[in-house]
Amino acid sequence: MENDKRHQAARGKKKQDKGGQFYKSVWRWHLYAGVLVAPLLVLLAITGSVYLFKAEIENALYADYYEVQAQEERVAVSEQLSEVNRLYPDGIIKSYRPGETDERSSEVKIEASGESLTVFINPYTGESLGELNNDDRIMDKIEEIHGELMAGTIGDRVVELAASWAVILIVTGLFLWFPKKMNGAGGVLFPRLRQGSKIRRRDLHAVPAFWLSAGLLFLIMTGLPWSGFWGTNFQTLATNTGEGYPPSVWVGNAPASDVETQDIAEVPWAAETLDVPLSSVQGLVPLSLDKVVEIADAEGVHPSYSVFIPQEPEGVYTLSAFPPKAQDEATIHIDQYSGAVLADYRYDNYGVVGKVVAWGITLHKGSQFGIINQLISLFICLGIIFVAVSGVYLWWKRKPKKGMGAPKAPPVFKTKSFLLLMVVLGLLFPLAGLSMVVVWLLDKLVFQRTPAMKRWLNA
Amino acid sequence: MKKIYGSFLAIGAMVLLSACSLSDDAANLYKQEVPLQIEAEVPTDIASGETVTLEAKLTRNEEPVDEANFVHFEVRKQDGSIPYPMKDAQPAGNGVYEMEVNFRSDGLYFFEVHAGSGDAISNPQYQFIVGELSESELQSLKEGPAPDAGSSGAHH
Repeated sequence: MENDKRHQAARGKKKQDKGGQFYKSVWRWHLYAGVLVAPLLVLLAITGSVYLFKAEIENALYADYYEVQAQEERVAVSEQLSEVNRLYPDGIIKSYRPGETDERSSEVKIEASGESLTVFINPYTGESLGELNNDDRIMDKIEEIHGELMAGTIGDRVVELAASWAVILIVTGLFLWFPKKMNGAGGVLFPRLRQGSKIRRRDLHAVPAFWLSAGLLFLIMTGLPWSGFWGTNFQTLATNTGEGYPPSVWVGNAPASDVETQDIAEVPWAAETLDVPLSSVQGLVPLSLDKVVEIADAEGVHPSYSVFIPQEPEGVYTLSAFPPKAQDEATIHIDQYSGAVLADYRYDNYGVVGKVVAWGITLHKGSQFGIINQLISLFICLGIIFVAVSGVYLWWKRKPKKGMGAPKAPPVFKTKSFLLLMVVLGLLFPLAGLSMVVVWLLDKLVFQRTPAMKRWLNA
Repeated sequence: MKKIYGSFLAIGAMVLLSACSLSDDAANLYKQEVPLQIEAEVPTDIASGETVTLEAKLTRNEEPVDEANFVHFEVRKQDGSIPYPMKDAQPAGNGVYEMEVNFRSDGLYFFEVHAGSGDAISNPQYQFIVGELSESELQSLKEGPAPDAGSSGAHH
């Protein structure tokens, strides 16, 4: 009897130990991940907050380029392009955007001497309103920071890594937040502000973080489809199943114009004398942009569309509209010689996953529901900054003078449930998974063998 | 034990990190268009005064289209001096439609087919030469893509 009791007590203690170990592992990972990811999350939240208001900011900044007086007659699109050709004889015209309202200028994107410029044309006079170098556009810069820290592919991967680790922060954070005993809603649903500074500090991180977690998770999951690695693979998988975006909307190529190269009329170079055989100038000639715009109107494309101009003989004209609301999206490929519609993908033609992703993107950008959407997203961004700062502050105040103050690491393979959790997260977010392997190897090969590091990290 | 977990993680990461690629027939899983394909022979070596039969073959899904909604042929001269009106082309069977045109003078011409079948519309435009080209026509050729005559908007 006595023996039994002792046995039970020992078992209980063992169980508690295991629970404690699990708790410590979670805490440890939450702390290290948090300290590493917090600065990036703050940066993403700040740039995201600004980018939410891109349309409003650009309308104010570029009013002189955007706004025109509506008149009765528009100048033909081909004449607008001729004007651009005259102003930028070496420029290659990439796309044309007619402007979504009668008071909006049309835009011609060109590549000239290695720079990409947008030329704004008054569609009623055919005159240029000026040019903007796309590299100088502040919102483009902010987008570049938000998406890739202005560091290309490496930056893209770092942002994706931060986003993946933020999911791990949410999962581990929810575990740490989850009340072990039901003692009312204090410290769970609302912060305890009058029970000493330690509790206040903890609650000002954990409680708002809980409330924000759904919003943060939403922003991460809707932002990830954009990312270069996770996003591209996810989109490819979705498209391959028939449930994603149709090909060429996000991943995949546009169809080619249905034409035999020898049927196309050659255009002799302006400088050369016309000594090519005359027969070679006989054949198919490309459609003019005027007709493409007519087709766009006939097909009922959202007026914010752009026309991408084919750069190859077998290329297509692509009408592309990604307006504020996901339901209005369109991607239409047009044979550059016959004007035949080769593919016409609207929101309704997306698979289920494609529709969800499209909604996710417009919600993420804050455009789907206009100002309410922007304000909610702004609130989440400000909350993320608060939680990141309060989290770092909480750690800074708690941490001992020497070392990180992380709980002692139990050997990774002793806590199977924790390992399983990390493996699952690592597989869902392979980049994060890979970084876990790197951390684990670093720990084994460096931290554990360097006494000073081992002490500091409490490894 | 450790090794097993380590290699499991490594293999898992490798599998997921190896980028998957888009399958070639992914487009078949989504809405597909059946464009109206038009093949026209560009007449060569025509002299002014000659009467030529212009032909265009219409296919959809590689099947000849004999019941097109409309097939109009339009011939214009590059300098706009001779306006040939747009006309109905006559079906000649097996998806081929034809029309006779008499060319009264030398120059650079355009032949445009306007055709519709079901919900598909197509209007390819061909450039060809009758007799000799004038200086201004040579010049326009050097300047690049064909100019657009306004008459063709009729179907939209």
